[in-house]
Amino acid sequence: MTIQAWTLFSLVLFSIGLYAVLARRNLIGILIGIELMLNAASINFLAFNYFVGTDPAIGQIIVLFVIGLAAAEAAIALSIILAVYRQHTSIDVANIEELKG
Amino acid sequence: MTESFALSLATGLAMMVTIAGAMVAAGARSIVHALFGFAIALAGVAAAFAILNSPFVAAMEVLIYIGGITVAMVFAVMLSSAGKREPTQSASRHIMAFVVAIMFLVGVGSILLTTEYGLKPETTEAAWSVEAIGKYLLNEFNVVFELLSVVLLVAIVGAITIAGRDDDSLDPAQPQEDDA
Repeated sequence: MTIQAWTLFSLVLFSIGLYAVLARRNLIGILIGIELMLNAASINFLAFNYFVGTDPAIGQIIVLFVIGLAAAEAAIALSIILAVYRQHTSIDVANIEELKG
Repeated sequence: MTESFALSLATGLAMMVTIAGAMVAAGARSIVHALFGFAIALAGVAAAFAILNSPFVAAMEVLIYIGGITVAMVFAVMLSSAGKREPTQSASRHIMAFVVAIMFLVGVGSILLTTEYGLKPETTEAAWSVEAIGKYLLNEFNVVFELLSVVLLVAIVGAITIAGRDDDSLDPAQPQEDDA
């Protein structure tokens, strides 16, 4: 496999994630799209890590940081989703347009 | 020769599984089906990581993403929409999203296809080891590593605070409002 195959694969995965973020109305669906995009970025990091190969540990460490930050982000996002559902009894983005403190 | 063929086969299989799972995750009508597709896509990504010579990162992907984030999302679905189907939505939103995604795909793809990287895989076995990752994490990247632990701690405390803020709903005397 060439590096171009890997970058194209990562690009397709990113585009699917972008579509999910734009088309979904469920907040959890949008979160799934964001996670798909993060995974595409991680694949890109590891592909270049594999093909350049000067110090392969560093690319893996960057991907580990990305995974850790994604876990933190998912925890916060899911708790916000639960708080929004408690307020509006809906997690459809069309129903929760108004902002109120 | 046969080994490289097997590697190509495994790579193609991992890519196809990932793309198929991601398509289900993006397009499925029910959010539970989308979560299943998401888990399959993550398994494919983990296989891709293993093929890219990073078995430790692949293991972390399975543990944290499939074992952690997906399960947390399933809990969120059970607590909120309870497997309700998404309402029939306007087709224009889907078409707009599709057009934007395709434009992004074609735009970046045309750049990727015309770029010459001139790279060849050249690897030394020792540098890929978990030992090297551990040494880096506790020497050069020590500050980032500790900062990430603080970020995770703050995120978890914040998640508990946000999700459990409403004290009225925890009162057992008051019947909780149920969704229709």
